[in-house]
Amino acid sequence: MLNDLEKKRYSRQIRLFGEDGQAKLKKAGAFIAGAGGLGSVISIYMAAAGFGKIRIVDCDSVELSNLNRQVLHWSDDVGRSKARSAKDTLEGINPEIEVEALEETISKENIDQLLSGCSLIMDAMDNFSTRYILNKAALQKKIPLFHGAICGYQGQATTVIPGKTACLRCTFPRAPPVTTFPALGSTCGVIGSIQVTEAVKYVLGFGGLLENRLMLWDGLSCSMDEVACMRNPGCQDCSALIGDANYKQEMSK
Amino acid sequence: MKIAMPDGSRKEMTVSVARIDEILKELNINPVEVVVAKNGKIVPEEETASCADELKIVRIVHGG
Repeated sequence: MLNDLEKKRYSRQIRLFGEDGQAKLKKAGAFIAGAGGLGSVISIYMAAAGFGKIRIVDCDSVELSNLNRQVLHWSDDVGRSKARSAKDTLEGINPEIEVEALEETISKENIDQLLSGCSLIMDAMDNFSTRYILNKAALQKKIPLFHGAICGYQGQATTVIPGKTACLRCTFPRAPPVTTFPALGSTCGVIGSIQVTEAVKYVLGFGGLLENRLMLWDGLSCSMDEVACMRNPGCQDCSALIGDANYKQEMSK
Repeated sequence: MKIAMPDGSRKEMTVSVARIDEILKELNINPVEVVVAKNGKIVPEEETASCADELKIVRIVHGG
């Protein structure tokens, strides 16, 4: 149920998907992996939209060179933990929601605990080795993973629904080399916004998702394109689940 | 074979049939940095492509 303040705060969204839809967002728990460029956009829009619980994780501190794109953090936050800075900003945007901000490095060892109570995984990482940890956790817990990544003017996004779509490893079998990537804040804005829109539609249960579709954004030509992704039967992350009866049933739908 | 390159340019390659990894090698592209879509679908690099196919080579971005 929404209180009167919430009804007023979310009135423009309630016009879109009703109080029932808004209540669904309120019940949703989102895990946001990273409080950098993508994590800033994702967390700000999720907080403003009224996702009831947001857990955001980042192990770094704010640096001056982050501020061109990491809009969660302001000049006065330089030197502070990104997690603390994120919590302050998000609670300022929406005090009606629960924000947990953790200074942790995501690992195979702690991912189960970090995801406890969350029903969505928002990928705002800057490397594929951690993304593969998120991918495996999503498959094991059968919760969606909303992937996004950027470099300069370019970005990509896809939505992984365990049991239904190609997983992240099916689409990207090997991690690309880690480099210091150029980053434009507005590219994070495009891709992070798409990820949040996907999460909203998933929670509400309507609209078409980026299922088995890799969306490609090119800011230089201002164009979007997409290519189809397919499950890889030999995928090292998701093929082990094929023996799972529920998974087989889902895949046959 | 028509090929859309990662930088948006287009190339035409005259081969009857070739594996994707061979095509990438010919184009001097590191396979770890890209995914390749054949006729709109991402395919593994062991897959072959023929002259009638259209390839799109997508550079994977990893930043956040």
